[in-house]
Amino acid sequence: MVRFGIEFVPREAYWKTIYYAIQAEKKGFNYLWITDHFNNRNVYVTLTAAAIYTNKITFGPGVTNPYLVNPVFTAQAIASLNEAAPDRVVLGIGAGDKTTLDSVGVEMRKPLTAVQESIEIIRGITSGKNVVFEGKVFRVTGAKFLFKPRGKIPIYVGAQGPKMLAMAGRIGDGVLINACHPKDINYAVDCVKKGVSEAGKELTDVDVAAYTSFSVHEDPKKATKAAVPVVSFIVAGSPRVVLERHGIELKAAEKIREALKANQWGQAFGSVSPEMIEAFSVCGTPDICIECITQLLKSGISQFVVGSPIGPKVREAINLIGEKIIPHFKP
Amino acid sequence: MAYNKVVETIPLEKREELSDKLINNLLVSKNENKMPAGLANTILYHWQQGLLTGDAGLAAIIEASVLLEPDKTMEILEGKLQLMDTVKKVKEVSTKAGK
Repeated sequence: MVRFGIEFVPREAYWKTIYYAIQAEKKGFNYLWITDHFNNRNVYVTLTAAAIYTNKITFGPGVTNPYLVNPVFTAQAIASLNEAAPDRVVLGIGAGDKTTLDSVGVEMRKPLTAVQESIEIIRGITSGKNVVFEGKVFRVTGAKFLFKPRGKIPIYVGAQGPKMLAMAGRIGDGVLINACHPKDINYAVDCVKKGVSEAGKELTDVDVAAYTSFSVHEDPKKATKAAVPVVSFIVAGSPRVVLERHGIELKAAEKIREALKANQWGQAFGSVSPEMIEAFSVCGTPDICIECITQLLKSGISQFVVGSPIGPKVREAINLIGEKIIPHFKP
Repeated sequence: MAYNKVVETIPLEKREELSDKLINNLLVSKNENKMPAGLANTILYHWQQGLLTGDAGLAAIIEASVLLEPDKTMEILEGKLQLMDTVKKVKEVSTKAGK
């Protein structure tokens, strides 16, 4: 049975994000993912509030990166969270996004290795070991908690490229696939399967999550309008191979990229085509969204994550999802 | 505490609708920095417990709504809900609080 997750970007005051988190829990979501960007509210402060004000939802950073946050600190943060909400904490970790790292002058060096080494360090420390690690990106000369960590914390790898996806299948407890369209999800799941098979595991051993850009409203035009800004950023950041897979002209993507760089929002958003919306978002009425999710489930995903913008009005959208979409997939 | 007196003026059958409208008002407010942390935590606690239409929960929502969006709060009270006694009481309480 598919599980539902929801992603929040903590760019608003903590109490708004936590209000929505409580609402999501009440409406039947299983997972809560909070993004980690230095220019928004801190992910662990937000998650601590979520730990206090929720009772059963599983939550974690979705996703942190090892360049801005050293894996030793990440280990400490999630182990501490796991004391506040035992067995409800997960960790999402990926390479981060280049634009954000560039803006603080941090180089994204050997992303695959960095994520893999981080997971090894985090798993070691959170299991109470004294970690001595000599890697290609990270070096730990002897790190051990002065407290006893509570239990294993599942680690999800945020992945998009084939190597990261395979590595996620090989060593992750889960994978967060940044994609919305069956073409991309099929490709990604095949890559994950490769890693899973290399590790001698089954695909069902790994929680495969489609981490989508999502927008729902009873009026499909309103749902689409809300998705446009997010889709413009996705198009601008998508590699050539992904754009080509969806038949999106590189010139059209470049036009959006340039407009966003110049803060010409009207130009950027106005250049988003219906094909781009279809490729990079799940949006529309509840029935349309149910159809899209059904298609994605055929690719082998086990978790569907509702990501930004969620809908034109977040509170209303969470209610719609909880009342019309989630029940469709529950026995 | 003063807002508990405001809640006394609201008929039970109108509480759910009022609570719903005021929460919407708060969630879309751009004045989020005017929200006192203690009041935010009270609202979150009562939301978690399913008590936002109860006396303490509703009092906290009204107080927050008046702090963040005073004009819109009055519009909600005076509009379809026609809570004129509540409007009077809110004005009384917020004037006292302002002194």
